[in-house]
Amino acid sequence: MFRLVNLEKKFGNLEVLKSISMFIDYGEVVCIIGPSGSGKSTFLRCLNLLEIPTSGRIYYSGAILDPDLDCKKLRREVGMVFQKFNLFPMFNVLKNITYAPMRINKMKEEDAKELAMDLLAKVGLADKANEYPSKLSGGQQQRVAIARALAMKPKMLLFDEPTSALDPELVGDVLEVMKQLATEGMTMAVVTHEMGFAREVADRVIFMDKGYIVEEGTPEKIFSNPENQRTKEFLARVI
Amino acid sequence: MTLHFAKAAELLIPSLFHGFGVVIQATVLGFLLATILGMIIAIGRLSTIKIVRGILYLYLELIRGTPLLVQLVYIYYVVPLLLNLIASMFGFKTNIQIASVTAGILGLGINYGCYMSEVVRAAILSIDKGQTEAALVLGFGKYEALFRIVMPQALRSIIPSLGNYLVMMVKDTSLLAYVAVNELLLRTQNFASQTFLTIESYTFLAIAYLVISIPLSYFVKFIEYRLKDK
Repeated sequence: MFRLVNLEKKFGNLEVLKSISMFIDYGEVVCIIGPSGSGKSTFLRCLNLLEIPTSGRIYYSGAILDPDLDCKKLRREVGMVFQKFNLFPMFNVLKNITYAPMRINKMKEEDAKELAMDLLAKVGLADKANEYPSKLSGGQQQRVAIARALAMKPKMLLFDEPTSALDPELVGDVLEVMKQLATEGMTMAVVTHEMGFAREVADRVIFMDKGYIVEEGTPEKIFSNPENQRTKEFLARVI
Repeated sequence: MTLHFAKAAELLIPSLFHGFGVVIQATVLGFLLATILGMIIAIGRLSTIKIVRGILYLYLELIRGTPLLVQLVYIYYVVPLLLNLIASMFGFKTNIQIASVTAGILGLGINYGCYMSEVVRAAILSIDKGQTEAALVLGFGKYEALFRIVMPQALRSIIPSLGNYLVMMVKDTSLLAYVAVNELLLRTQNFASQTFLTIESYTFLAIAYLVISIPLSYFVKFIEYRLKDK
């Protein structure tokens, strides 16, 4: 689905991503782990062109991406969930979800509402449809954000540390929703510090450090038998 | 010396009532123009195009570096002359004039537009970048994200400041007297110079402004309070 070749990203003189090459297949769940500042989030944000790579190529569905042309189309197919939820505070939960499908996909209001209610039921928040985001807990907001992304019927979802801003007891509900999506076959790229989730749900785990992909492989390999010294050190610290 | 408030009241107050109409007209239209200009300038100054930012910055320096009174006089007396001069260079003989109220509205709008643009710009910048990004990743364009998601949130936060500018503008309409707009100050000046009731006339004038500005500022406070409530 995605193939990256020699992707690099610089912010001024700061090289955040150095020669990243990798791929993501349809239906795959890829978890990206690594210390803070390793470039994980930047890498994820390059996939939907929120950051424009300094050099390198991105292939999406077999065709090379042109950041000037393909932004909107790509983003309609590749949804994203943020660390800080970023729900629209002036809209209630229902409108947060129906807004983009109605505006962009020209969905009829009743269809969009029906879809939104289905998605809210799926994330366990059907009773919160008329609340405003500020009245919800972080975990609830994040589940609404997932529903909002799903409402665009994306082919893939990017998760940028979706549970890092949550109180520990609220993390579980969000991970549960993500697990369910994974079992339904959604293609997902997840930047996370939740090693348990990565181990259980990921098809492939990528360990990044200092802008490089240091090691990648199945969760068993990365967590039980890492080859690289830096991977070992990192895992020893977080687990 | 005896004061003749009753006599002054009888003759001046009806005239001031007519002046209210002019003040309200100039304020409403001037404020509308200022708001529109303020938003356009604010958005332009956040543009990624360097030359647009540069031109607007220069424009702001120009307007903010000169007094409103000078701008009013310039628009009323100088701009028509300049336009006629330019037309004559192309062989046209014109007699362009700007009506005094029009000049007043333009001056107020242009001047206040600059100050309001800074408020709008700060408000837009104060909205979390995540809001724009959330709209972008759903497939909205840059401008859709700005106008549909960021601006509505920014505008809410600037309504109190805009209200204060409105009250200020009401008072600044007194400057329009210098471009022959028959508003409160000019009416009072004429009356005072004809009747020599100087103390009485200007006292009534001051009261006339208070009659507009005090209720208006309470109204602004009320709106502010209502917004905070939500």
